[in-house]
Amino acid sequence: MTLIVAGPTGTVAHDGGAFHPEQQSRMFAVMGGVRDLGLGDEIVCPPTPKAEMDDLARVHSLSYLNELEAFCAEGGGDIDPDTYARVDSWNAARRAAGAGLAALGALDERGEGVAFVPVRPPGHHAERGRAMGFCLINNVAVAASSLTARGERVLIVDWDVHHGNGTQSIFWDDPDVLYVSTHQSPLFPGTGAAIEVGGPGAVGLTVNIPLPAGATGDVVRSAIDHVARPTIEEFAPDWVLVSCGFDAHRADPLGELALSSGDFAELSRLVSEFVPRPGRLALFLEGGYERAALQESVAATLGALLAVPTDLAAPTYGGPGMSEIRSAASDRHRAMERMRSLISSEELGA
Amino acid sequence: MSRFRTIVVGFDGSPDSQAALRWAAQMSGAVGARLRIVHAVGLLEHAGLLHEHATVHRETALRVAEDAGAPAADVEWTVVDGDPCSALLRSIAAPDPADLLVVGSRGSAAHGGTLLGSTSLEVAEHSNVPVTIVPASYGRA
Repeated sequence: MTLIVAGPTGTVAHDGGAFHPEQQSRMFAVMGGVRDLGLGDEIVCPPTPKAEMDDLARVHSLSYLNELEAFCAEGGGDIDPDTYARVDSWNAARRAAGAGLAALGALDERGEGVAFVPVRPPGHHAERGRAMGFCLINNVAVAASSLTARGERVLIVDWDVHHGNGTQSIFWDDPDVLYVSTHQSPLFPGTGAAIEVGGPGAVGLTVNIPLPAGATGDVVRSAIDHVARPTIEEFAPDWVLVSCGFDAHRADPLGELALSSGDFAELSRLVSEFVPRPGRLALFLEGGYERAALQESVAATLGALLAVPTDLAAPTYGGPGMSEIRSAASDRHRAMERMRSLISSEELGA
Repeated sequence: MSRFRTIVVGFDGSPDSQAALRWAAQMSGAVGARLRIVHAVGLLEHAGLLHEHATVHRETALRVAEDAGAPAADVEWTVVDGDPCSALLRSIAAPDPADLLVVGSRGSAAHGGTLLGSTSLEVAEHSNVPVTIVPASYGRA
């Protein structure tokens, strides 16, 4: 199987200062993880042009895009306590989104392989009209919307330690996108409760499984297996995109989940079961800020998909969260029933 | 009973948010409303990468509220995960809705006159309750 690497993109100039963990130097660790696979020239690296405004406007409002472009052109600045933009950030964000599109194009062309999109700024917190959580443009959403625009159905699995509020809100009422997230809760951004199940046009197509601090890899896998799998199988996606944040690693400074690199290998194997046919899986880098953990986890994730052995830590077991998974399943079920009954009573009253 | 039962004010420690808190505390005293001070915790603060944290902000906020005349029993300190705009909008919503939202004219991250980087303009755009925006100069001795 071919590994397509659409990146690394980004710019050193998109920089929040020495204390800020989301830096271009993360790419040393990420690409170190790719190198550790030992694939050499077997890796395919497509060109990664900037995404066009039309591509971005499928998921972001034009007013937001114009404002972000102007904000950067005027020198940028801090957007909130976490999120910043610099002069070059607009181009960096367009290039990051473009890399995702290039990855899908390469998969389409080859009809086989797995694509990895190592880009920054990350994307899954960016909403239709708002930058936040280090994110300016929602890269995985731009990619998914390019697929739904041609009539395909997309599963997005988000295993970043933080809930992908932006991706959820963008596809909230879209019947062609199934969004599945495992994340630590409570934690930034404060969204992602199990009762958030999607809008009236897509009831059940948002699957949130909030997990407590300390949850181990077996808990995350169980969450996907028991809560999300039935919905995924019924949805039958044409494509699987992964928001693969590695900040769920136990060494990461931004979260308190307890995964090891071996858990990311297991997770990627699990997610690959939902891929309908070869060449329909792409992984988008989101978070992940501890360099050694990031490198090892990138190698473990891609190695598991390509059947390439890598040095990885053993998967983890026994952390808290199994009761939260059961609660999430029942909360979700009740929320869906409530919403369906509301919809049918509105239809009867119409 | 007062129409204004709950007033929410955003607080990030900046001079603007301190001014907003002074104004909100005075208003809560004037109408007999409960004052809910909301501090949003983002990614960097959670990771301990900012100089000041919620515990420091809490002490400052409660002191400012007390100095402005808000009865301690009516003041509530709340920490909410999220970016400032989303955290404030969630804080005025059910199940414990607010009647008024007060914010400083510029948060610690604000720039220029655009929506980007301006919590006050963003919440004013999206809030479903009245919003009062207070400049940093308000109530300064």
